[in-house]
Amino acid sequence: MKRLISRLVGQAIVFCGLSTSEKTGIAGRRRNPIVYPTLSIVTLLLLAALSAPAATFYVTVAGLGGEPDYAQRFKMWADDIDASLKKAGGDVNVTTLQSPTRDQIRAKLGAIAAQAKPADALVVILIGHGSYDGVDYKFNVQGPDLTGGELAKLMDAVPAQRQLVANLTSCSGGSIEALRRPNRIVIAATKSGSEKNATTFARYFAEALREPGADTDKNEAISALEAFKFAQTKTKEFFDTQKRLATEHSVLDDTGKGASDSDAAPQANAGKLASAFPLVRMGANLAAARDPKKRPLLDKKEQLEQAIDKLKFEKAAMPAQEYKRQLTQLLLELARTQEALDQ
Amino acid sequence: MRVPTVKKTLRLGAATILLQFLLPAQTLDQAETLWKARRFNDANEVFKQLELKEPKNPEYKVRWGRMMMDHAQPVDAEALFTEALEIKKDHTGAMMGLALLSAENFDSRAGKMAGEALKIDPKCLEAQELLARLALEDNNTPKATEEAKKALEIDKNSVQGRAILATIDWLADKKETPWDPHAATGYATAGHFFVINRRYEEGIVYYRKALELDPQLYSARSQMGINLMRLGQDEEAFKQLELCYNNQFQDAATGNSLKLMESYKKFVTFKTDRTILKLDQKEAELLRPYIEAEMLRAIDTYEKKYKMHLEKPVQLEVYPNHEDFAVRTMGLPGLGALGVTFGYSVAMDSPSGRKPGTFHWASTLWHEFSHVYTLTATGHRVPRWFTEGLAVHEETAINADWGDRLSPDVIAAIEAKKLLPVAELDRGFVHPTAPTQVIISYFQAGRICDYINDTWGWDTLLNMLHDFGRGEETAAVVKKELKIDPEEFDKRFIAFIEKDTKTQVANFKEWKKGLKSLVEKETNKDWDGVIREGKAIRDLYPDYVEEHSVYEALAAAYIAKKDDAAAIAELQRYEKIGGRGPETLQLLAKKLTEAGRGVEAADALNRLNFIYPMEAKAHRSLGELWLVQGNLKGAIREYRAVVAGNPLDQAQAHYDLAKALVANHQTEQAQEELLAALEAAPGFRAAQKLLLELSTNPVKNPVIN
Repeated sequence: MKRLISRLVGQAIVFCGLSTSEKTGIAGRRRNPIVYPTLSIVTLLLLAALSAPAATFYVTVAGLGGEPDYAQRFKMWADDIDASLKKAGGDVNVTTLQSPTRDQIRAKLGAIAAQAKPADALVVILIGHGSYDGVDYKFNVQGPDLTGGELAKLMDAVPAQRQLVANLTSCSGGSIEALRRPNRIVIAATKSGSEKNATTFARYFAEALREPGADTDKNEAISALEAFKFAQTKTKEFFDTQKRLATEHSVLDDTGKGASDSDAAPQANAGKLASAFPLVRMGANLAAARDPKKRPLLDKKEQLEQAIDKLKFEKAAMPAQEYKRQLTQLLLELARTQEALDQ
Repeated sequence: MRVPTVKKTLRLGAATILLQFLLPAQTLDQAETLWKARRFNDANEVFKQLELKEPKNPEYKVRWGRMMMDHAQPVDAEALFTEALEIKKDHTGAMMGLALLSAENFDSRAGKMAGEALKIDPKCLEAQELLARLALEDNNTPKATEEAKKALEIDKNSVQGRAILATIDWLADKKETPWDPHAATGYATAGHFFVINRRYEEGIVYYRKALELDPQLYSARSQMGINLMRLGQDEEAFKQLELCYNNQFQDAATGNSLKLMESYKKFVTFKTDRTILKLDQKEAELLRPYIEAEMLRAIDTYEKKYKMHLEKPVQLEVYPNHEDFAVRTMGLPGLGALGVTFGYSVAMDSPSGRKPGTFHWASTLWHEFSHVYTLTATGHRVPRWFTEGLAVHEETAINADWGDRLSPDVIAAIEAKKLLPVAELDRGFVHPTAPTQVIISYFQAGRICDYINDTWGWDTLLNMLHDFGRGEETAAVVKKELKIDPEEFDKRFIAFIEKDTKTQVANFKEWKKGLKSLVEKETNKDWDGVIREGKAIRDLYPDYVEEHSVYEALAAAYIAKKDDAAAIAELQRYEKIGGRGPETLQLLAKKLTEAGRGVEAADALNRLNFIYPMEAKAHRSLGELWLVQGNLKGAIREYRAVVAGNPLDQAQAHYDLAKALVANHQTEQAQEELLAALEAAPGFRAAQKLLLELSTNPVKNPVIN
C-alpha cells in the first residue's frame, strides 16, 4: 500500500509493521517428522566411521578478545568445548589453543599433518572475532591474523580424509569459499563476511557438545549436523526472545561444491556428510559393533532401519492406518533386536 | 541554513516567472474545489503552484496543511502549519492547525494552543469549539457545557458547539436534546465521544447517522469500520475500511486495520460455551491449555464477585506480534500497552510478543476480563478511572505477586505530590501531561480501589459500579457511597498512600545510589561486599524486582559463596514479591530441586507458566517434577507443551509425554507418542524399551526410567 500524494518527493506511508509470520502447521509437527530417506547410508557411514580404528584430531582455537569481556567469553567457550571433547574420551587428540599467535596455529596443524593418516579425521574449531575485507577473511589472533586461505592450506596439508572446520567467528561466512573442498564440512556462524557482529552461535555450538538434547536421533553421538542444528535453533530463539534483529545466520556446507545451506538436513545434499560425522560420543554404542558374534544381529538391525527409512519415505502415499501398523511392527522388531544386542 | 548565491537566486526567480506564464493561473478557490471533490493529487498540484507563486503567503500553507490533514498526512500538515507560523507568528489558522493535530493525538498541548489562538482572535470559533471538545474528553461536563455555549455565542449555528451539548445529553441517555446538530460532522463528534467512553455500539450508530448525511465523510466511515472490527463484526468492518482506502482515505489506522484483518486467516479459533479463543496457529497448541483455563477461571471468579452472568461468550484474541495488537488500540487514549477490551471482545499481547519477564500475560488477562464485567454491568458508562482501578485491583486480588510493582515513576509522582484528585483522575488517562502519567494513573486508580475495598468493603465498590451504570458522576458517587466529599476522600487516600509507600519514597535517592554501588560490586565479583550491603539496600525499596534487582545480586553472591540455602531464601523473596525474570525463576527451581524441595520447585516453575510459557526446558523440568510427585495430569500438560513447542529433540519430547501417559494409564495414547518418538529416532533405546513393555504387558504399569 502506498500514499497517493506527496507534498515533495518520495514520502512513504508508515504502517505499524504488520509482519507476516511464518506458517507452521500444527498437525505437521506430529504427522510429518523429519524424514531421513538416506539414513541407512548415513548409519553405515557412521558405523564405519565409529568402528574404524582411526583417530580424530581436534583443534579448538580461541582468538583475540580485544576487550576483557570478549576475551573471557571466548576462553570460556573454548574451555567448554575442550571439556566436552575430553569427557567423550578423545583427550589424546584434543588440543585447545587460548589466544595463540598465527605461528602457534601453524605449528600445531603442521604437527598433526605429520602424524595423521588418511583414515583419520580432523576437526578445527575457531572462536573469536573475524573480519572480511571483501576478498579475504581473517581470524583475529595475536600478531598477524590468519587468513581463510592460509587455514585452508594448513588443513589441506593434513592427510586425514574427513575434515570439519567450524568457524564460529564474526564474518565467518567470508571464509567458506576458501575452506570449501570435497569431504570437508564447513560450518560458519554467519552466512557472509558482512555479518560483522560478535556471534552467539559459538556459545550454543559449545553447549551442543554437552547437551543430550542435541542428540536428536538418540544414537548416543552428536554429529556435526546435530551440533549445527542445535546451535542454529538456539541462536534463532535467542534473537526471537530478545526481540532483536538477527545479526547472524549460520550455514553448513559439506558438498564441497558451494551449496551452502542454512537449512541443512540429511535428506538434502547439504548435511549428508555432516550427519555421518560424529563430533562427540555420549554412550557405549560402539561395543556391539566391534563384537563379531553380534554381526548377524547388527545386520538385522541395519535391515530394519533401512525398512523403516523406506516406509517413512512412502508415508505420504499410504493410508495412515496401514503406515502406523507397519511402522509399529518394524519398530517393535527393531526394539527386540536392540534388546538382544544389548545383552 | 544555506544562503543561495546571487546567480542561483536569479535562476530560480526566472524559472518561477517562466512557469507562471506557461501554466494556467491557479487560485486558492481552484485548490479548495479540487480538494472538496477529493481530487487530492490535482489539488496538491495547485497548492504547489500557489506556493511557487507566493512562497511567503501563510494562507496557502494553512489551507494546504488542512488538506493534508484531511488526507491523513499529519507530518506534512504539521510542517506546513509551522512554516506558516514562521511567516506570520500570530496566524490563528496555523495555530489551530497545530492544535487540532495535537488534539487528534490526545496531546495535552492542544488546549494551550487553542487558548492562545483565542487570545489573538476572541472570535476564533474553531478554537472555542476545540476547548469544549477537550473538556468533554476529560469528562468535565460543566466546563464542556460552558465552552460549547461560548462557541454558540460566537456563532449560533456552530455545529461543533451544538454537537458537544447534544453529546452531553446523549451520553446521559437523554433521547431528546435541543442541541441536535443535524450535521454529519456533528454526529461524527458524538460517535467519537461514545467510542472513547467505550460505548462502541452507540458510537457506531452515530457514525452511521453521520454517513447518511455525508457518505464522503471518510474519517467517520473509517472510525465506524474500526469500531465494527473491535466488536468482531469483521465482514462489514472490512467493507467499510476498504471503501475508505479506495477513496484515498488511507491513514495509518485504516491501512493497518485492513492489513490486520487480512492476517486473521493465520489465526485458529477454539470455542467453549463461555469462551472464544483466537490464537496464532504457530503457538496455538502450546498456549491454548494455559490461556483457556485462565479465561474460564476468571469468568467463574468474576461471576461470583460481580454477581452477574454474562449473556454470551467472551472472545479473546492473542497477538504474538505486538504491532498487530497495537493496531487494535490506535486512536484510543490512555489504554494499557498490553491488552484492550471492547465489550465482550478482548485483545492482548501473546507472552511470545514481549521480551521474557517483561509481561505477565495472566495478570493482563484477569485485568481485561474485569473490564468485560464492569463495562457490561454499567452499559459501558463506567468512568475510565474506575474500570481501570478495579481491573488493577483484580490483578493482585487473585494473586498477590501478580500485577505491577511500585515503579520509580510512581514513587517520584507521590514524592512530587502529583497524584490527581479522584474527580479528575480520568484526565490522567485521556490527556496526560507527561508520558508517565498514564502509568501513574493506573497505579493510583488501582490503589484507590484497594483502599475503598479495605476501608468500605467490596459491596461498596459494587454499589459505586452500579451508580456509574446509572450515569452518576464520580463526585456524586463518592459522596453517596463513601459518605464523604471527594476532597475529603482525596485527603484520606493521599494519607493512606503516603503511609503505605513511606519507606520507598523517603529512601528512593539513597536506594538509587546504593543500587549503583551494588551493581559495581556484583560486576567486580565482590561477593562479600554484595552480601554485606545488599540486604539494607533491598529493604529500602523491596518492590524493585526489575533489571539488576538486589534479590538477584544477593542470590548470585550466595551461590558464589556456595551458600545455596541463603540463595534459595533470597530467590523466594524475589518470587513472592512479584519477580518475573524467567531465568531467575528457573534458577530458583533448579536450586530447590537440588535441595530436594521438589514441591516448591514445581510451584516456582508453575508460576513461570503465567509469565512466559514459551520455554520447553521449563515445561520439561516441571513435567519431571510433577510426574515424580504424582500430579500426572499436570505432568501430561507440561510434556504436551514441550511437544507443542516443536522442539529440536522431537524424540525425547514424545517419549517424556508417553511416560506420563503410561503413568496415568492412558496406554493407547502413550503408544502413539512412543511411535512418534521412534519415528523421529528409531534407535532411541529408552523409547524402545517402553514400547516393548507396553506391547508385552499393556495393562501392568511398566517401569519408567
